[in-house]
Amino acid sequence: MPKIVGIDLGTTNSLVAIVEDGTPRVVPGRDGSMLVPSVIYFDESGTTFVGNPAKEKMVERPRNTVFSIKRFMGKGIEDVREDLPLLPFQVAPESEHILRLNIFGRDYTPPELSAFILRELKRNAETALGEEIKNAVITVPAYFNDAQRQATKDAGRIAGLDVLRIVNEPTAASLAYGLDKRKQGTIAVYDFGGGTFDISILKLRDGIFEVLSTSGDTHLGGDDIDEILIRLVLKELDQRPDVHQLQAIRRAVNTAKEELSAADRADITVEELHYGRSLTREEFNRLIDPIIERTLGPCRQALQDAGLNAADMDEVVMVGGSTRIPLVRRRVQELFGRVPHTELNPDEVVALGAAVQADILAGSRRDMLLLDVTPLSLGIETMGGVMSKIIPRNSTIPASATEMFTTFIDGQTNVKIHVLQGERELVKDCRSLAQFDLKDIPPMPAGLPRIEVKFLIDADGILSVSAQEQRTNKHQSIEVKPTYGLTDEQVEQMILESFEYAEVDIAARLVIEARNEAETVLNATAKGIADEQYANLSEEERAEIAAASARLREVMRTNDHEVIRQSIERLSNATMHLAELIMNAAISKALKDKRVREIQ
Amino acid sequence: MDYFEVFGLPRQLGIDTLALEKTFHELSRKYHPDYFTTASPSKKTQAVRLTALLNDAYRTLRHPVHRVEYLLSLYGYKPDSSKVSQVLLMEVFEINEQLEGVKGGTASVEEADSLRALIKEKRERFDAELRQASLEWDELLKSAKAEAKLKEQLARLTEILSESSYIRNLERELE
Repeated sequence: MPKIVGIDLGTTNSLVAIVEDGTPRVVPGRDGSMLVPSVIYFDESGTTFVGNPAKEKMVERPRNTVFSIKRFMGKGIEDVREDLPLLPFQVAPESEHILRLNIFGRDYTPPELSAFILRELKRNAETALGEEIKNAVITVPAYFNDAQRQATKDAGRIAGLDVLRIVNEPTAASLAYGLDKRKQGTIAVYDFGGGTFDISILKLRDGIFEVLSTSGDTHLGGDDIDEILIRLVLKELDQRPDVHQLQAIRRAVNTAKEELSAADRADITVEELHYGRSLTREEFNRLIDPIIERTLGPCRQALQDAGLNAADMDEVVMVGGSTRIPLVRRRVQELFGRVPHTELNPDEVVALGAAVQADILAGSRRDMLLLDVTPLSLGIETMGGVMSKIIPRNSTIPASATEMFTTFIDGQTNVKIHVLQGERELVKDCRSLAQFDLKDIPPMPAGLPRIEVKFLIDADGILSVSAQEQRTNKHQSIEVKPTYGLTDEQVEQMILESFEYAEVDIAARLVIEARNEAETVLNATAKGIADEQYANLSEEERAEIAAASARLREVMRTNDHEVIRQSIERLSNATMHLAELIMNAAISKALKDKRVREIQ
Repeated sequence: MDYFEVFGLPRQLGIDTLALEKTFHELSRKYHPDYFTTASPSKKTQAVRLTALLNDAYRTLRHPVHRVEYLLSLYGYKPDSSKVSQVLLMEVFEINEQLEGVKGGTASVEEADSLRALIKEKRERFDAELRQASLEWDELLKSAKAEAKLKEQLARLTEILSESSYIRNLERELE
């Protein structure tokens, strides 16, 4: 069985983890950091950079540095209208159903942008593990709806990954948490991240992790806290900042927010605007309290749905970067009446759990099993714009429901079914998932066809629909029009386009690596020339070093990594004798020093 | 395969939910799609379908009201809230008016509390009736009584569910 990695595709940071010898560990990136910032920078030549190098460009190049893309997954422009004024992105036209960002004249959907991050994680894992990685488990917020889950799966496909399972983040966290402790009992996982909030109530028993209920808000996280602070700064400025300055403010308030988790006071400094102010933790708490309050409603809802009280929880586990905020911990402690667990690194625990789930899927362990639920009720539109629920929220998945449909007109050959997700009674208050068009129904008098439609929510929490006409036993063909998603053909097209990227990416990377090495070799050569041993080289040797150095300097600014490599090779050969002389001199000096010491 | 067969149970309404949970976990360990990642596509699909059936069955049978509804559906009975007595309809109408007051904020706290208590009392009375009728069904089933008797009992269960659905809706609205 080829290796399966676990990926936490986060709003702020993303991680990839793997289980080796029964223990999950996070795979670091090339720069050694465990967290890959979920930031993508596009340069003019079409090269992309992901992670820390991209994060550095957020202020300098705001228009072409994309962040927090997870908040746009499965969304149309109306869903994010309120956020856009504070974001430096250029939204492309035709963003009604899928938001599209325009970067250097090209439109990108959120799944395509997320794919850049996934490709980076894939590469990191491949470098570290020394083999090609094709299979992954990717986590999503538990409260993600069908479209958001599908968008995540699409992102995986575009990145060249076979997404074997979509796992809910709090559930993944509970896997990592329950791993070494053989826990039994009821636990609440409070997962407050950069962009989303989830609460899940689970029952752990004999290795079965059964989710009893889940609730949350997929648009509530650390980003909202940053926004409050940004608005605070904007109010105190006498000018409207441009996009660079806006990003500088974002960076400054984010730093202050993080400092306030440890300190009682922090400074918000924006040099670009000659702005500075101090913020006390008290003031900060007052500002963010409404945000934290919004997490408590879903907590109460989840408890009620599980038929339990706060006092029934044996443990409360904290996940996500925003749980580092002292006020968050205090409020959670007050609600549940117990000290929440914070000993696991809240940034890493989801990725570790995803790796454990990947290990289960790989067949390595049968002692653990996750039984997760669907966070939202599934329903269909009926007469009068009413939503009729067919699979209630918190049903264990996979789950299914069967409904009978018929025709209203003689000879009718099509029946449309509008599928929705949500808890409200009216269609207009629920989230539209898709229109399913049952086609080629055998022509019959009205009301005679009996079309049995089966709705199946799979273990990823994603819906599929199949239909059969009962009188003819004919399998019914269905055309699916996702309301907020990509069609299969669109995803296929993006996969094709992504190959282009993969090639551009690899070429760009090779050039960068070659340039870095050229830099190193040139520096070493300069040092060698300064060494006294340089005088011992022949005339020809010195000429060749000079020529090879000049050649390398000349070609290292080109984009041809092979030519750069050849020049590096030539200079290395030219300096080989010099290196030997320097080395020998150093050794004999060391020996001499040793002898001197011995005599003394 | 019906939901009772999934759990190897006769079509009785008295179910030990702890034993049901235990069986649910055992069967999950056997059929869950997590254990079929490397299997053939047809086996994978089968695992998803079987587990969906198992989950649907567990969700339905562990709930005392859904369990009765499901049993009735197996015999072609369907509770219908439009077929209830005039007396009950009048009662519901009255409660509904009071509920509007509570929701509109014109009722006092005491009025809201007493309405809640009233609805709860009525719902509990239906629950007791349903329990009794369910017990009777199980007895009839065990003693292998004539079909006419069983049909009579199914009709009785249908009636209780039809009448109680109003109260349940009101209770839900109050939440």
